[in-house]
Amino acid sequence: MSRVWLVIGGMAVATYLTRAPMFLALARRPLPPRVRLWLRLVPLAVLPALAVPLVLVRDGRLALGLAHPPLWGAAVVFVLAARGVNLLASVAVAVAVVALLRALG
Amino acid sequence: MTRLGLPGGLRDGLVASLALVPSVFVYGSVFGGLAVQAGLTPAQVLGMSVLVFAGASQFVAVPMIAAGAPALAIVVTTYVVNMRHYLMAATLAPSFRGFRRLWLALIAHLINDESFAVAVARSRPPDAWVYLGSAAAISGAFVGGVAVGTALGGLVERPERYGLDFAFPAVFLALVAVQLRRRADWLVAIGAAVLAVALALVLPGNWHIVVAGLTVSALGARVLPVEDAPAPAEPHAYPQGGHE
Repeated sequence: MSRVWLVIGGMAVATYLTRAPMFLALARRPLPPRVRLWLRLVPLAVLPALAVPLVLVRDGRLALGLAHPPLWGAAVVFVLAARGVNLLASVAVAVAVVALLRALG
Repeated sequence: MTRLGLPGGLRDGLVASLALVPSVFVYGSVFGGLAVQAGLTPAQVLGMSVLVFAGASQFVAVPMIAAGAPALAIVVTTYVVNMRHYLMAATLAPSFRGFRRLWLALIAHLINDESFAVAVARSRPPDAWVYLGSAAAISGAFVGGVAVGTALGGLVERPERYGLDFAFPAVFLALVAVQLRRRADWLVAIGAAVLAVALALVLPGNWHIVVAGLTVSALGARVLPVEDAPAPAEPHAYPQGGHE
């Protein structure tokens, strides 16, 4: 059993625990407002916590220069998605921008 | 019942999801390709897609696995990224009264952002069969896309040359961008981003994601007015940016 399969098994269990308990309990009552508020905020906190270091931190150092292609890609995808452009199209354009800047640089 | 012997809702859910099928399929193929590029075997990529079946968290996990992050950090991050399912499960559950427990346990595994959106957009409370029809379409498209991406992924030798490594942060940023509505949303997102960058510079592995994500969301839930909570039965009040 490789380490990767162990991780996949753990991920499967963890994810099932986010789906099944509430579903099987057939919750008749809504969650308390504070809990609903927290659940609404979780993706808003987790996704930037994940994405921004991928863009700004390289090899344990801050990468903030204008010559850093991911910085431009991030700006492009963010503006496009916020303006209601299809998610897939936004991501495709941003990826193309990063590829182009890398090819030029 | 239709001529095919399917409950009408099942067909409705399938048809209503067709518009999402190409996009979910492509996302699946991108995931399959990137995961193979990152060093997972095709069996691992498909196994993860069937057993976990939660695209966003899989996109998160693969670079962590590739970077050799601690298993516990990956599993906890997966859990945190997927915690939104609690909200969807609670909303869908009452529509499934009368289903056998074994079926409920299986159906629960299929909970996904797109089918949730289709089901709650169509009726309130959502119809169980519409939801199931959609879940069949979405899960088929996702796993099919992953299989194709896994097979074709090996064709790209240096994905970063084509900016493909940037697809990961790009997807997450796009998902954030469509969810920012109120000022408080911006505060939470920016706060988490700043804290995560600061922690990433000092903490090993990928713990900055869990620590910043949990800290800032919990802080926001404590200090923000409780009126900011989504209404329990208002479908459009839920963030719908998540894409499997």
